[in-house]
Amino acid sequence: MKKAFVAALLIVTAIPLLIGVVALPPHGDPDTPVHTHISARYLEEGREEAGADNIVTGVLLNYRGLDTAGEVTVIFTALMAGLAVLISHKKQPEGDATYDAAEAAAEDAPVRAPVSPVVSFVVRLLAPFIALFAVYVIVNGHVTPGGGFQGGAILGALFIALTIVLGRERTRTLMPRLAQPWMQGAALLTFVGVGIVGGALTGHFLGYPAQASLHLARELMMLVLEAGIGLGGAAVFATLFLQMEAE
Amino acid sequence: MSVVFDIMLLVFLIVTALAVARAKDLLGAAILFSSYSLMMCLLWQHRGAPDVAMTEAAVGAGITTVLFLVAIGRTTRREK
Repeated sequence: MKKAFVAALLIVTAIPLLIGVVALPPHGDPDTPVHTHISARYLEEGREEAGADNIVTGVLLNYRGLDTAGEVTVIFTALMAGLAVLISHKKQPEGDATYDAAEAAAEDAPVRAPVSPVVSFVVRLLAPFIALFAVYVIVNGHVTPGGGFQGGAILGALFIALTIVLGRERTRTLMPRLAQPWMQGAALLTFVGVGIVGGALTGHFLGYPAQASLHLARELMMLVLEAGIGLGGAAVFATLFLQMEAE
Repeated sequence: MSVVFDIMLLVFLIVTALAVARAKDLLGAAILFSSYSLMMCLLWQHRGAPDVAMTEAAVGAGITTVLFLVAIGRTTRREK
């Protein structure tokens, strides 16, 4: 009975969705509105207007900069929600000293099974190259595929791998406790900062100066944004991992 | 050739997705989900979206798998 109901519900949901798929224009059709209006403009003028060879970055940081700021806010809020859930599940004597409680508990935790020497060796060997690649992806985001989100994810993954292999005592210096809130909010803070700078230069929040003489300022604003997104993203992943692992 | 490759990736994608949904062993499900992300990453790259492919590889195949494993380590491995 229940299975029949679920099946019926799924079919009823699927039919309108499939009708919608059928009604979509063919994949890659150049005559659809999205390809005749905005995309053409982006592809033709984007390099000059947005100042980024990689048009994806140009759209992300320039044309749709406010959307990206919203996206960064969503990520930050998701981290806060995740931390709230994780921390409320921890047993702790004091009410608000969450970080200290988590870290003290982690130090008292029984020693975990040692990491395989092969994994340990490979992670140690590759760590500097991964770090360099992450920075390259972040800094080069306006020329080649990549950018703050991608490089930040790579940095976060590197931090997690290092923490697993070396232990959290060794990687703690990479994310000092005092700097943690600033790193977690780095993406949001840089967006606000660069937005205000752009506002001072152009009169619009997150506006980019269009004059050719201010080309350098425009590049610098994008670079700072990419760096902030990268640092913030990495910190979000690292914090989630540390909080989930701590007990 | 390109179409054949696409179809192979899609078939593998669907197979891994179904396997994840059916798996009772959560550790296996997490590993399968990681391979699902890998297929997805190849598909993104093949459809001309290298930016998304990079994110998928780092986040989907890497970080979420680690977070799943940590969560399994703190709960139970078998689905009840």
